[in-house]
Amino acid sequence: MVIKVKNLVKRYGDLIALDHLSFSIKEGEIFGLLGPNGSGKTTAINCILSLLKYDKGEIEVFGELMTPEAYHIKRDIGIVMQNVAVYNELTVYENIEYFCGLYVKDRNLKKKLVEEAMEFADLNEFRNFRPKKLSGGLLRRLNIACGIAHKPKLIILDEPTVAVDPQSRNKILEGIKELNAKGATIIYTSHYMEEVEQICSRIMIIDKGKAIATGTKEELKAMISLGEKITVESYDISEEQFARLRQLPNIVSAEYNDPLIEIKSIKGKNNLENVLEFIKRENIQFGKIYSELPTLNDVFLEITGKELRD
Amino acid sequence: MPVYNLCIKIIKKNIPTLLIYIIVFLGVSILVSSTAANQQKAGNEFISNKSNIAFISEEDSPLIEGLKDELSKVANFIDIPDQKDALQDALFFRRVVYILRVPEGFTQKFMTGEEIYLEKTMLPDSASNAYIDLSVDKYLNTAKIYMEHMDNITQEGLVAYLSANLSEEAAVTVLPAQTNTDLYNIAYSYNYMAYSLSSVLILGMSAIMLAFNNRDLKNRMACSPISETKSNLQFILASLSFAGVTWLIQIIACFILDMNSVMTPNTVFFIINSLVFTVCATSMGFLFGSIVKGSGAISAVTNVVVLGSCFISGVFVPTELLGKTTLKIASFIPTYWFVSANNQIAQLSQFDLFHIKPVISNIAIILCFALAFFSLSLVIRKNKRYS
Amino acid sequence: MFAHIFLNRLKCLLRDKETIFWTFAFPLALALFFYLALSNIGKGDAFQGIDIAVVNDSRYQEDQYFRTALEEASKGDDRLFNLTLATGDEAKRLLDDNSIKGYIIDGTPMELVVKESGIHQSIIKSFLDNYSQTFGAVETVLKSNPQKYQEVIESLKDRKNYIKEVSGAGGKPDIVVNFFYTLIAMACMYGSFFGMRETTDIQADISPLAARINIAPVHKLKAFLSSMCAALLIHFIEMLSLLAFVRYVLNIDFGPRAGLVLLTTIIGSIAGVFFGAFVSAVVKKSEGIKIAVLIGVSMLGSFLAGMMSTDIKYTISRNAPIISWINPVNLLTDAFYSLYYLDNLYRYALNIGVLSGFTVLFSALIYLIVRRRKYASL
Repeated sequence: MVIKVKNLVKRYGDLIALDHLSFSIKEGEIFGLLGPNGSGKTTAINCILSLLKYDKGEIEVFGELMTPEAYHIKRDIGIVMQNVAVYNELTVYENIEYFCGLYVKDRNLKKKLVEEAMEFADLNEFRNFRPKKLSGGLLRRLNIACGIAHKPKLIILDEPTVAVDPQSRNKILEGIKELNAKGATIIYTSHYMEEVEQICSRIMIIDKGKAIATGTKEELKAMISLGEKITVESYDISEEQFARLRQLPNIVSAEYNDPLIEIKSIKGKNNLENVLEFIKRENIQFGKIYSELPTLNDVFLEITGKELRD
Repeated sequence: MPVYNLCIKIIKKNIPTLLIYIIVFLGVSILVSSTAANQQKAGNEFISNKSNIAFISEEDSPLIEGLKDELSKVANFIDIPDQKDALQDALFFRRVVYILRVPEGFTQKFMTGEEIYLEKTMLPDSASNAYIDLSVDKYLNTAKIYMEHMDNITQEGLVAYLSANLSEEAAVTVLPAQTNTDLYNIAYSYNYMAYSLSSVLILGMSAIMLAFNNRDLKNRMACSPISETKSNLQFILASLSFAGVTWLIQIIACFILDMNSVMTPNTVFFIINSLVFTVCATSMGFLFGSIVKGSGAISAVTNVVVLGSCFISGVFVPTELLGKTTLKIASFIPTYWFVSANNQIAQLSQFDLFHIKPVISNIAIILCFALAFFSLSLVIRKNKRYS
Repeated sequence: MFAHIFLNRLKCLLRDKETIFWTFAFPLALALFFYLALSNIGKGDAFQGIDIAVVNDSRYQEDQYFRTALEEASKGDDRLFNLTLATGDEAKRLLDDNSIKGYIIDGTPMELVVKESGIHQSIIKSFLDNYSQTFGAVETVLKSNPQKYQEVIESLKDRKNYIKEVSGAGGKPDIVVNFFYTLIAMACMYGSFFGMRETTDIQADISPLAARINIAPVHKLKAFLSSMCAALLIHFIEMLSLLAFVRYVLNIDFGPRAGLVLLTTIIGSIAGVFFGAFVSAVVKKSEGIKIAVLIGVSMLGSFLAGMMSTDIKYTISRNAPIISWINPVNLLTDAFYSLYYLDNLYRYALNIGVLSGFTVLFSALIYLIVRRRKYASL
């Protein structure tokens, strides 16, 4: 186990930020922490890093108790914080060199690692720029490069893509996969379910400091009753016809927001077929029709009764 | 009035910083007006207001006794043990401002006309020292006349003659209450206003300007349905209210500090002068805001410019003590004219055209500075817009 | 590791233009302003005679001795008075217009009419007193020795100076040097800006950058000390340059003990940097408030130590000595002044001792705060 968290409780006064949170992360995973803003993701990370005091619980990293003085553990952790944390007075290169230097003493090795990190974050063009001159996306990339230059075994990325343009975002996600492929275990927090779905091998959904579900995305989706979401664009469905539509087998709910009919059905085969057949039978005019599998948002919605997005 | 409200909000955000300068002003005014009052008295009645000195005599003689008597008219004697440390300490902490030592054998050598000196150690730059010097000088030089020309004069006789002569004094008439000395103290406070007014107004104005110079904000404003004239008018209105409030706070403070002179006609001139200076400082803030980028740079430039101008214009150091060259440089700065107007106003006792003319012309010069700063910033802004 | 952090910190601080401005350029500019404003104090060249009038009545015309004396005093480059002859009404009008400081009416006793009291008026009075008194003495002498008339008049011109100034220690008591000492003391305290940055960048509950350092496998106190060393080095160099500027460009005297002056500057610099680190660790609020506190403390301290007016320093030390003993700017100023002016080093040692005490106290408190590595909230 790379990380083992048991019954972690953290209070801020009356507010319970983490409520008996337990999870463990295996080597080689990309572990996603998914939850809305304020759900306790960053708090959990800070507790793991021994930055925050917590009220109760145990945290082990690489099989050892994590403390502020556990330098041999810290040496193998790389962290990319939510807030960009770099020196404004140092250039891109100097920043990476500085942070890498806190982990690696050997000069030649350090140099090599810094160059690799520059390469990785694609920052070579901006080597001598001061952070103030960088755009948001570049700054995030610098922030990542500073966190991972020393080739840590465990990389924690706390919302690394907030306020990043889609192009940089894809680059960052690709990079994370690449790091994972080279052997790093990764913790990835985000409130963007698409990202988490795209790269994470295992996901924990948290809300109000509680883990509400953990598993691969398939497992998570399997937890809920919703199987398929079918949307039909139609202009002339009558009320009787709509009522009959709802009677179809497997259908959980149907809503008509002119011109879109949204049909949710439980898991099972032939759901789309049934709907199509019905439309044909009733001779209803329709524009387009499509079917979607449930997303993590649906999972979140079903468990908590609210949308994941803010 | 959205633009107006925005400006006011920006100012409100900066209140903690600006407040510091106001508090400094208040503190300084209270302290300065109290110490100024003391200084003023010291200068006033140098005969009755005696300074503290240490008189150390290594011998005793009627002549020295007479000298001590004569000195007692201008000084209080403080007993300090004749040890170097104690004496230095006493000077250092101003328990005494002057130490006079009579060396052994002084009387004898004096009476025989040999060269001999009293030794003094003193704090520099104190008017009272000059009087003690004068007093000693007078006593001994008068004694010298007797000694050289009266044959066989005894010490006792000499001292008797001297005390008779030295009791003669000129009669001083002070023309009744034409000048209120309090006005000098309050002029100090008004002068200090130059520091706080300029600091607060320049910092505040440039804070607003910085926000408005933000390019995105500028573009957004340009796209809004508020015409440029209207938004400029609101901006000006906001600046004026800000300047007005700042000025008012300090004027009221000055009034409270010196209730007595509020009712004099001089106050009207103080008010006019400070108001014009407020306008000038506001337009200076406008100029700075047009030139300087970044709030860090603003506070750097403001502090150097404001402190510098206050130092060389006589706000912190009285104008009379400044060198000619310094004053010549200062005359290119509005603060100089503000200070000299205040000093002139404090002296005013008659308010006909002849007497108030110099005050008016000083105020007019400040107004010209205000206009110059304002037009200069308009030019700069125009050039910036096209570039 | 020390070298790595130290060198990078040097780079950071040197490139922080704003802090360099406040800790270096600003005091330098102030020193120049002081020089411009104060260079004239103590030099008599500003004195160009006092404007006075004398009522030109028959009594004055007949009083040959007084007329001669007054005319003598109004002649030459180093004259005491600029004399105008006037009728009584004219003289009164001149006084009203502030064209003269006062006017004299000849008589027994002499009469002086002034509008206000002040140093110039006092000098006029003193001149008149001196005249009457000397004249009285001459009269007395001549009464018994009428034949000595010529001799006595001759000897009147030969006034002797009977006072000699002896100085305390190396330097003469000098108000002007005190201004510069306060300034250097203030600049020492401005080192607090460097100290402030150091704690901000090491305390994870203040900045995310610090959180990143906290996560690295580096002993926190070691990292803190390495970067404090960088801050101290830069501030030392700044202070030494300021000292050199004041001493050699502006020619301000620091007395004979150069080594101790340097030591004082360095102790002051350390005190300043640690003070800033302390304030920054205690006040966790925004940077703006921290800066306000630092500037407030150092400016108020400088003011109370007599940077704007020496009288304030003495008023405080006489009436509220406790304030002068807890004011670091005043302690430093006094230390410099003792070195310059006092013979023995007792007062100097006392000042430096108290200041060092404060520095040690600050460091202890900083240690207590900084050694904490886990935070209740971030």
